Amino acid sequence: MNKLTLPVAAFLVAVFVAYNAAFVIDQAEQGIIVQFGEPIGDVITDPGLHWRVPFIQEVRRFDRRLLAWDGAVSQIPTLGREFIIVDTTARWRISDPLQFLRSVRDELGARTRLDDILDSVARDIVSGTELEEIVRSADWQVDVTGLNEEELSALGAANLERPTKGRQQLEQEMLVSASRLMPELGIELVDVRIKRINYIDSVREQVESRMISERQSIAARFRSEGQGRSQEILGDMERELRRISSEAERTAQEIIGEADAEATRIYGEAYGADPEFYNFSRTLESYDSLGENTTLMIRAESEFFRYLESTTQP
Amino acid sequence: MSQARDLIDQLMNAAGASNGSGGPRGRSGMRRPSGLQGGALGIIVGIAILAWGAFSAFYTVQPEQRAVVKRFGNVIGITDPGLHFKLPFGIDEVQLVATERVLKQEFGFRTEDASALQRTRFADEDFPGESLMLTGDLNIIQVEWVVQYRIGDPIRFLYGMRDPTGTLRDLSESVMRRIVGNRIGSDVLTIGRVDIANTARDEIQAAMDRYDNGIRIITVELQDVVPPPRVQPAFNEVNEARQELERMINEATMQANQAIPRARGTANRIISEAEGYATERVNRAFGETARFTSVLSEYLNVPEVTRSRLYLETLNEALPRIGRVLVVQDDQISPLPLLNLPDAQPRGQNLEASR
Repeated sequence: MNKLTLPVAAFLVAVFVAYNAAFVIDQAEQGIIVQFGEPIGDVITDPGLHWRVPFIQEVRRFDRRLLAWDGAVSQIPTLGREFIIVDTTARWRISDPLQFLRSVRDELGARTRLDDILDSVARDIVSGTELEEIVRSADWQVDVTGLNEEELSALGAANLERPTKGRQQLEQEMLVSASRLMPELGIELVDVRIKRINYIDSVREQVESRMISERQSIAARFRSEGQGRSQEILGDMERELRRISSEAERTAQEIIGEADAEATRIYGEAYGADPEFYNFSRTLESYDSLGENTTLMIRAESEFFRYLESTTQP
Repeated sequence: MSQARDLIDQLMNAAGASNGSGGPRGRSGMRRPSGLQGGALGIIVGIAILAWGAFSAFYTVQPEQRAVVKRFGNVIGITDPGLHFKLPFGIDEVQLVATERVLKQEFGFRTEDASALQRTRFADEDFPGESLMLTGDLNIIQVEWVVQYRIGDPIRFLYGMRDPTGTLRDLSESVMRRIVGNRIGSDVLTIGRVDIANTARDEIQAAMDRYDNGIRIITVELQDVVPPPRVQPAFNEVNEARQELERMINEATMQANQAIPRARGTANRIISEAEGYATERVNRAFGETARFTSVLSEYLNVPEVTRSRLYLETLNEALPRIGRVLVVQDDQISPLPLLNLPDAQPRGQNLEASR
């Protein structure tokens, strides 16, 4: 029994010691061996199985990957005194774990330092900049000539100038400004980005009211334009109608006149052959058409009565 | 179960036999049961370790997945779908990543879990924080969009950065706001959509490449791009007004289209009537003059007789119809009424009397 127990116990102790001496550094990690709070040796960056002195050395692990920082949403006034909500985000990595360990100990510590630094940098830059500069980018190009009237009037008084810096350069400035403080934290800041910008609620309501009134004025213009165009078309129609009917009237009168002239010529030619007979026959014709209530006055000497008085030949 | 119990029984018997063989060397019968128990416990632990080793020595990769294999935390390779073996006892670790699946992130809206439903349902609530943004002319616009992506490189996805999908979210919002902020609102609402989506995809991809996180953006699709909710009625009002404009123009044009052809018809009618009149007039002139000319030529043969005949015939025709005939003489002042009976008599008798 004793013979068996000793090797087994020795084996178990050996396993326990080995287990404490060995440690694994993951692909995502880097580690520092710390002995009584004092870092020993270089930073371990290659993943795999590593060894340490058991029990007296411990391993501090840090993420080797790119890490995200999400800033608090903060209200910042711009240079034009508009209050806006700015939400920033950044990417960083632990570039110098030793320095990182000394200055901020762990990620929580780093995060609070980043909060302080990045918030203040964002505040500085946003409050020194016009809102247009933050919203637009350096490659801003708005071709006003290509816009129709409606869009133009919707733009209203907004200036459409190209920003002198633009959002990307402002983000770059934030990065540069914040990065100055990073080496002593053992941190490398990869980028800083503005995630969201918006008006604060009260300003937003005002802006929305402005948009509403802009739209309403456009709508009113459309309506009056409709009325105007309608009147224009109806006026054109009236002119056209009058032109058509008057032209027709004129043509008709011309035709009638020509026909009258032609008839007159024909009558003239024919009746001119013997005007006296024409008068005679025309008079007779008009007798023929006398109505019932006509009173006819005939001279007693007229031919009609001549034979009533006497049938003898004169 | 019974098979397993049989197996354990057999093993225990075998252990008992070996202990039994040691018995004659002075082990007391009293200690035998505890020795038997300790041995059995050791064997059970051994089997458990063996089973753990056996089960942790292989793994399955689904068709849409790739497996990243790590030995002591160090990545040693990627394996394709199928059954694979690895070193057991946690020496080799496997992380499965769905590389072939198209994943998506939604901004400004959420698709509800639609597995039990036939149709995709969208959550009713809005996410104004995500979707409201500023345009270049400092107006507010509501943009909803979807980013579809795939994990192109599982190693980079796992070890390039922590929480790559969260970063993709942040970046998408940042990029979309930059692009929308770089255009004026009406542009975003109308013609800019395709361009915005393409630019967004390129920029997000560029950022992902810079972070080296293995995400491949497949597409960025804009969904609803609308003015903020409170302003929408005003936008609709503009559309209505534009429709009204069209309607008024159409109505006026319709009226004109109705009236003008009718007026043309009327005009043609007036002209045709005039032409008819003209033809009639000329024809009558020809007719009448032809008649006159014919009569005249005959008259000229014997003018005296014809003249008297025509005169008398005409009077003969006309007199019976005529109401009164007054005979006048040059030396009399008042006309002498001839046959003034009609004044006292009814008309029919008057006619008879006048004959």
